[in-house]
Amino acid sequence: MNNGALAGVKVVDLTHHIAGPYGTKLLADFGADVLKIERPGGDPGRRLPPFYHDQPDAEKSLPFLYLNTNKRSITLNLKSETGRSILMDLLSDADAVVENFAPRVMPSLGLDADTLRKHNPKLVVASVSNFGQTGPWRDFRATEIVEYALGGLMYIFGAYDREPLKHALHQAQFKAGTNLASATLMALYHQRLTGQGQRVDVSIQESIASALRDVTNNYTYTGAVRRRQPNHTGDLTRLRAVSDGYVLPNPGMGATLDWKVMVDFLEAPELDDERFDNASARLENAEALGDILDQIFATKQKQEIFYAAHQKRFIYGVIDSPEETVDNPQIQARGYYVPVEHPDLGEITFPGAPFLMSGSPWAVTDAAPRLGEHTGAVLGDMGYSAQELTWLRASEVI
Amino acid sequence: MAGPLEGVRIVEMGQLIAIPSAMKWMADMGAQVIRLESVQRLESYRTDSLYHNDVDGEFWNRGANFYEQNRNKLGLTLDLSRDEGREVLRDLIAVADVFAENFTPRVVRNFGLEYEDLRKIRPDIIMVSSTGYGFEGPWANFGATGPATEGAAGLAYITGYRDGGPVMSEIPFTDYTAGEHTVAAVMLALMHRLNTGQGQFIDVSQTQTCSATIPEALLDWTVNGRMPERVGNEDPAMSPHGCYPCAGDDRWIAIAVDSDDAWLGLCRVMGRADWAADERYADVLSRIRYRTELDKMLGFETRNHDNHELMAQLQAGGVAAGAVADSEDLLFNEHLKERRFYEIVEHDDATGMPPLPYAGRPWKLSDTPSVPPKPAPIMGQHNRDILAGLLGRADGDIAALEEAQVIGFAPLSPRGVRRPSLDEQVRQGRMQRYETDYAERVAKWFGINR
Repeated sequence: MNNGALAGVKVVDLTHHIAGPYGTKLLADFGADVLKIERPGGDPGRRLPPFYHDQPDAEKSLPFLYLNTNKRSITLNLKSETGRSILMDLLSDADAVVENFAPRVMPSLGLDADTLRKHNPKLVVASVSNFGQTGPWRDFRATEIVEYALGGLMYIFGAYDREPLKHALHQAQFKAGTNLASATLMALYHQRLTGQGQRVDVSIQESIASALRDVTNNYTYTGAVRRRQPNHTGDLTRLRAVSDGYVLPNPGMGATLDWKVMVDFLEAPELDDERFDNASARLENAEALGDILDQIFATKQKQEIFYAAHQKRFIYGVIDSPEETVDNPQIQARGYYVPVEHPDLGEITFPGAPFLMSGSPWAVTDAAPRLGEHTGAVLGDMGYSAQELTWLRASEVI
Repeated sequence: MAGPLEGVRIVEMGQLIAIPSAMKWMADMGAQVIRLESVQRLESYRTDSLYHNDVDGEFWNRGANFYEQNRNKLGLTLDLSRDEGREVLRDLIAVADVFAENFTPRVVRNFGLEYEDLRKIRPDIIMVSSTGYGFEGPWANFGATGPATEGAAGLAYITGYRDGGPVMSEIPFTDYTAGEHTVAAVMLALMHRLNTGQGQFIDVSQTQTCSATIPEALLDWTVNGRMPERVGNEDPAMSPHGCYPCAGDDRWIAIAVDSDDAWLGLCRVMGRADWAADERYADVLSRIRYRTELDKMLGFETRNHDNHELMAQLQAGGVAAGAVADSEDLLFNEHLKERRFYEIVEHDDATGMPPLPYAGRPWKLSDTPSVPPKPAPIMGQHNRDILAGLLGRADGDIAALEEAQVIGFAPLSPRGVRRPSLDEQVRQGRMQRYETDYAERVAKWFGINR
C-alpha cells in the first residue's frame, strides 16, 4: 500500500492474462487497494513465459510478476454459490470491480452488470473484452494477432511485398489495459462527485482502431486505401540501416524543413537538387530520393549521427535492443528500472514508472502475490472462522 | 449528464498526437479543452493530408490529421513569443484545472511555463508535460517522434520478420501509447486533487510508457540475460499462428490456433481431414515443431478463399481468425457500426467539407457517455469566445491583439503539402488503390445527408 493518488479506492479485480491485469496494475501502483480474485487453479497469466531462470512455475512467470505488483490475491471459485456470495460481500464496499472474461461469462454466473450495480449503486463495473460487450462480433474468438488484423493496424504494418506483420509480444492487450485504467478512473471521478457508479465497456479491437493516424481518414478525405509502403519511398523519417544498426533519421517536420541544412548535415551534395528541395517535390521524386538516402546512411554510425543530429535539433532516433535500452544514459539518469524485492526470488529489476507524478508518485511496495496468499487474511477479516476456512478449502470454494 | 469530466477546464499547448489525442479523449468526455496554436508557426497536421488533396484557399482548415486529433476542442491562436501572448496564457492558467503540453523543456522554460511558474498563478494546477524521453535528464531536450521512441524503448528492435531487421508500423504508434498513459495520468491527478486539494506536475516519457508495455522482453534480459530474436508473427505457444494469403490483391487473414479443439476446427473448415488425422500435428508441441511446414500448407489452402468469408467460417468453427482489415474494411464494418464506434462530425461551412465519420473512443460509459461531437476548431475560431467570454477582455483589447498579430485567423506564411496524384501514389506503392465513388459510399453507409 502506498500514498498514491488512489489512496482509499477499493478495487475487486477479477481479471486474468494481460489486458485486465495491466489496467489494474496502473491503479495499484498509484495507491488503489486491489484485491485480485483468482480461480482455484490461478490466473492463466501465471503460465506466461519467460520464467525466472527458465523455471516454469506458477510463481515464477516474469510477466505475471510484473503485471500484478501491489495486489493481494485470494482464490475463489465463482462457479460455486458460496464463492459468488463471498464475492458479493466483497463488492458491498468496493468502488470498482474489473473483469476481462468473454462477455457471456459474467451473466452466465448471475453476475451481470445490472445485478452488481443494484447490489452496490456506487460500484463501477468495468470490463475489457476482445470486441466489447455488444455487437455482432461480441462472441468472436480473438488473440493478439486477430486484434491487430481486425483493428486495422496489421494491414499497414510490414514489408511492401510480404505478409502483414504485428508488433512483437502483446501491444494490443497493453493498450486496452491502459484504456481500461483511464475509463475506470473517469467513472471513479464521476462516482466521487455524485456517488453513482456505472458500467464501463472497453474493447481491444477499438483500442487499436482508435489509435491509427490517417487510415480511415485517408479514404474519407481522398478515396485512397493505405498499405504497407515500400522502402524506396522518399519519406525522410523511415527507418534506415547504418553501418552498426538502425536509426530514425527525422530532420524535422514536412513543409518547414530547411533542405540545405539537411544536405549539409548528411554531407550529401547529390541531394542539393530541386527534385528534393521541398516537401511536394520530394513526394514526386520519392524513389530516387529513397535510393540515395539508403546509400548515404549505410556509411554512418548510430550513436555518432544520433548525437550530431540533436546538436542541430534534428529529431533523430536510435533503435536500441533490450540490453541497450536498459543501459541508455537517459533512462539510467531517470532511474527508470527499479529493483523489486521478491520474498522467494530475491531482487528483480523491473521497468518502473511509466510517468512521474510529483504529488502522488508511482511506487511498488509489494511484489506480486503468491496464488491465494491473502485468502486466509481477507476471509478472516470478513468474519470467517478457521473452521469455516477449512470447510471452504475442502469444498474447493477457495 | 453528458460526460464525467464536465467542469474540468484544460489548456492545451499541444502538437501532433501525443498530447492532442489524449486531450481529445478528455474533451470527448466533457472537459473543456482550449487548444493553443499560433498564426506564426503552422502545425504540420494543418498542412498535410488535406481534403481532396487540395492546397488552394484555406487548406489549413482541411487537414485530416488535425480533425482526427482535435475533436471537441476550442481553438485560440496566441503568439507566445510575445509578452501580450504570454499574458493571455497566464490569465487562462488562472482559471484552468490542467495545463497540458508536448514541446521540449527548452521551449517550456523559454516561455516561463514550468510547473513552478504556473502554480504561482494557480496553486492547484495540474501540469502534464509529454516528451519523447522525459522532462529531465541528458536527453530531455532531444526532440522525438513516435518512431524514435519506439526505437529507444526496445519495441522496434524486437519486432520484425525472422530473417530481417527491425520493422515499424506505418503510424507513430508510441505517440498513442504515451497519449493513452497521459489520460490515465491526468485522471489520477484529478482524483488526487479531489482527495487533497493539491495539484502536481506529471512528467510523461514516451519511451518509458512504451517500455512499460514490453516487460516480457525486458525482464528476459534483466533476469535471464537473454536477448530476444525477431520471430515475425510466430507465437511461442501457438501453431499455426500467422497471417496467410487469401484470394484477391493483397488480401490476408490472421489465424491463431490456441488449442487442440481449434486445430480440429481449422482442419474441418479447410476440408483437410487428413491434417486432423496426422499424428505429427496432434498436439501443440508437435505443431510448433512443424510450424514452417504447417504455415506453408495452410497458406496454400487459404489463398483460394475470400478472407471475410473464411473468417466467418473459422469463427463458427471455433477458431480465432480475423480478416486483415484495410481502410475500407475498417470503415464499412458492421460490428463497429452497431457499436457506433465512428462518430459523424459536421464541419464548418467555410471548409466546404461534408459531415464525415471519425474514430471514437475505445470505451463506453453507460451513464456519462460523451458529448455530441463537434469538429476541431478552424483557425482562431474561438478567439473571441475565450478572450471576451471567458477572460472578460474588452473589444478594444482584442482588436489590438489582432492588429499586433498576437491572435489571428489565418497563418502568416501558409505552405500546404500537395501530395502526388492518386495514380502516382499507387504507382509508388504508398497506397494500395483508390476509389472514385468513396464520398457516396461513405455517405450511404453512415446515413449522412450531403
